[in-house]
Amino acid sequence: MFVPHSEIDLKKMFEELSIETLDDLFKHLPESLKLDNGLDLEPSLSELEAISYFESKEAINTQNLICFAGGGHYDVYLPHTVKTLTMRPEFMTSYTPYQAEISQGILQILFEYQSLICDLTDMQLANASLYDGATAVAEAISVAINKTKRDEIIMSSGFNPNTKTVVNTLIDQQKFPVHYISLDENYLFPENYEFTEKQAAFVISLPHYEGTAQDLTNLVSKAKEKGLVSICYIDPSMLGILKTPGSMGFDIVVAEGQSMGSSLSFGGPTVGWFATRKDFARLVPGRIIGESRDSKNNKTYVMTLRAREQDIRREKASSNICTNQTLNAVGSTIHLSWLGPQGLQEIGYQAIQKAAYMKSQLIEHGFTISNNTNSLREFLIQTKNDSSQIIEKMGARGFLAGIKYSEKEILTAVTEKRTKIEIDSFIQNLLEVDNV
Amino acid sequence: MYSGGNASSLPLVGGKAEPTIKQLSKPGRRASRFPKLDVPEVEISNSALTSIKPTLPEVSEHDLVMHYSRLAHRNFAVDLGFYPLGSCTMKYNPRFADFVASLPTFANSHPSTPSKFTQGNLSILFELEHYLTEITGMDCATFQPPAGASGELTGLLIIKKYLQENNLQHKNQIIVPDSAHGTNPASAKMAGFEVVEVSTDLRGMVNIEDLKDKVNENTAGLMLTNPNTGGLFEENIVQISKVIHDEGGLVYYDGANLNAIVGVCRPGDMGFDIVHSNLHKTFATPHGGGGPGSGPVAVKNFLREYLPGPIVIKKDDIYEWYEPASSIGRMHGYHGNFLVALRALVYMKLLGKEGLDELGSYAVLNARYLSSIVSKVIPLAYDEPCMHEFVASVKNLKKSHKIKAYDVGKALLDRGFHSPTIYFPLIVEEALMFEPTETQTVDTLDDLAATLEIIIQELQETESSFEEYPKNLPVGRPNELIPAKHLTVNWGDFELLEITE
Repeated sequence: MFVPHSEIDLKKMFEELSIETLDDLFKHLPESLKLDNGLDLEPSLSELEAISYFESKEAINTQNLICFAGGGHYDVYLPHTVKTLTMRPEFMTSYTPYQAEISQGILQILFEYQSLICDLTDMQLANASLYDGATAVAEAISVAINKTKRDEIIMSSGFNPNTKTVVNTLIDQQKFPVHYISLDENYLFPENYEFTEKQAAFVISLPHYEGTAQDLTNLVSKAKEKGLVSICYIDPSMLGILKTPGSMGFDIVVAEGQSMGSSLSFGGPTVGWFATRKDFARLVPGRIIGESRDSKNNKTYVMTLRAREQDIRREKASSNICTNQTLNAVGSTIHLSWLGPQGLQEIGYQAIQKAAYMKSQLIEHGFTISNNTNSLREFLIQTKNDSSQIIEKMGARGFLAGIKYSEKEILTAVTEKRTKIEIDSFIQNLLEVDNV
Repeated sequence: MYSGGNASSLPLVGGKAEPTIKQLSKPGRRASRFPKLDVPEVEISNSALTSIKPTLPEVSEHDLVMHYSRLAHRNFAVDLGFYPLGSCTMKYNPRFADFVASLPTFANSHPSTPSKFTQGNLSILFELEHYLTEITGMDCATFQPPAGASGELTGLLIIKKYLQENNLQHKNQIIVPDSAHGTNPASAKMAGFEVVEVSTDLRGMVNIEDLKDKVNENTAGLMLTNPNTGGLFEENIVQISKVIHDEGGLVYYDGANLNAIVGVCRPGDMGFDIVHSNLHKTFATPHGGGGPGSGPVAVKNFLREYLPGPIVIKKDDIYEWYEPASSIGRMHGYHGNFLVALRALVYMKLLGKEGLDELGSYAVLNARYLSSIVSKVIPLAYDEPCMHEFVASVKNLKKSHKIKAYDVGKALLDRGFHSPTIYFPLIVEEALMFEPTETQTVDTLDDLAATLEIIIQELQETESSFEEYPKNLPVGRPNELIPAKHLTVNWGDFELLEITE
């Protein structure tokens, strides 16, 4: 299928090559390796048959779960305009823009993407995307290690456990131990934490995984005094209401960019944002797009600082990344432009107002929120029964209640999409499934 | 001559530069609208909050749509023309796969949804594992690696952990051919290995004698593509695997060139222990302008418990997540690029046994045909039958007429074709690497060869500088020094540069 040749075409090609069958192409291969009867797989499906095959697979997923889960991936409204523009085949089916003259579309969008992220986070240089938020944290830590030539990493424990596992996998723990610092009883990073000059990086999430947030200016300034590189992992859909990481003094900003331009996608493909200051330029992983001029002085975009990349530097490259998440970065660009300043502020503001309402209603109905005071759009609900069971029971009633946080706590998130009716119904159902 | 792959009719030509979205911004304009807040508004205070609005462009929805649609018109794509791009497998991406990937719960399930509610998603990964392991001759797979390079790192971390658990930590060298993709040595370095290069012989294959010299008690493994980056089948592959295995090392298959052998032979049967596949190459998922890809890693059973977890298993007709006992950890925040994996399964289902059995054969047929007709214009680097791609070299034209591979590539752009891969593999001077894939017609292949002939003729005769090529595109060759020197990587930067200079 998708092989275009007619009998006449094949005859012409076989004649050019002086062969009689396709097998003749492989006379130089060892006989012992050739597959005699081909692959042990099912026969092909026509498109019509494939529709019912895949629709039946899709149908065994539980349909219409109302999403109260977050942890980095949020059910933010993704406008059709953004989806359809991103899916344009000129973007979707193009290759990496090495040939700048016929890739100005993708190159300009990636340049806009880098610029938008810099504007939003108050940084100076962004790359053209990494795989996801978790791997972006690990890449940022590698940059900090290279910059400081130090070994120890100080990382807040307020991260998605999967992100910590990714960091522990990608950063060689024997050479570069990662010390996780617990949040205090208010679910905040201890303001009195003292850094040392042995440490390479201070890595923290804004808001914390648990949903709480704090101004990090003082901590960053203390880390800077000891020469650490400060890395901020942000929730992009909250950037409309949070102080910028740049204004707090951070050196590197990374993010799980799913909520800007990508559907939830069962976790992938999404996009990892990475932004930093210009003096880190030569340590940055991945592709970077720059603005230039052509021979006639026309504005031209082109991939730049290529000497950092694996295809040129090989084992001395700043990272092994090659294929990235360009199309999701295109989605972020168009979504951010669609939102504008008011839109981004509104989705953040509505999320925290609705979360505040939900928390107050939960408390009114006898539930305890572990971190009511400092949490914004995401918070920990204490359950009376085993939290996994509650999540399953809520699922059967049409709600994805959140992510299991502990045996008796669920991490629940609210986005601007959730309505008062959904929140009220959630609480009513939770009352029914979580009784003693 | 007419051909389906020739994009020279495209209105990519001329016109002014497209302004940035910021230059189109005017205060007070907006595209977004949201429902009114439906809960009582309360005062929320937190030291991290601000009421200052974020810095973003302010544009109308129509302006936004026109801007990004115009940018789409300034971009080449598989849907517009032929990419004879070696090592990239730019084949047709079936539209139908996008339809399946947009089905509601495939597209919109939250990654932390319990497996009880996502049986359909898990069944997709389970089924895809079956197809992928059958095609590659392996036993089980993980879909976490979001791209080929991540798959390589996964494989190397598996080798590392396997050696550690078998008290073989002293094995710290990974052997990589000098013709390998840059990601191979970069990944080996990231995994903490020392990189040892093995040379290529005159026929374009791994130099077996050199390999034997380089293998010793410190050899952890070998990374290899087969066919190799010269497009040639490593005929001694069984012997190569044995040399590494005899010394206690593992053999890693870089799936960049898998398209050549699907249905013909299998890495698992050649002795490879670990295989990554690039679903965005071999299995026709769109490249997206540089990503997303997906680089699943398949292994033989003895390495299963080292895979990054969780992986999907099936028990009594129920799909479950399983955490391998000695897992290296995680390569992705969740389950890798799920929607890319889904598209790959759609492609495999549409091809089925019939299509997959012949996939490699037709990919090789097109490449062999193209190499035959191109060789009449530009000499090939190796006098060997090519597989799915081949390397030609203009080193003689460089000597006689100062024509570089770069110039040929740029001149092709002008005439409606993407450039082949140039200057790769690094071991071939002035290399042009062509990979037609199985989805292009013989007319398109003929047209490309004829166009190359015209270009070479023209470049030899022209009085003007090659720097003027391409001539018919929205922009000419970019000055690559400006952004590297002045770091014009953000939309404020060029203005600053122009003020200061």
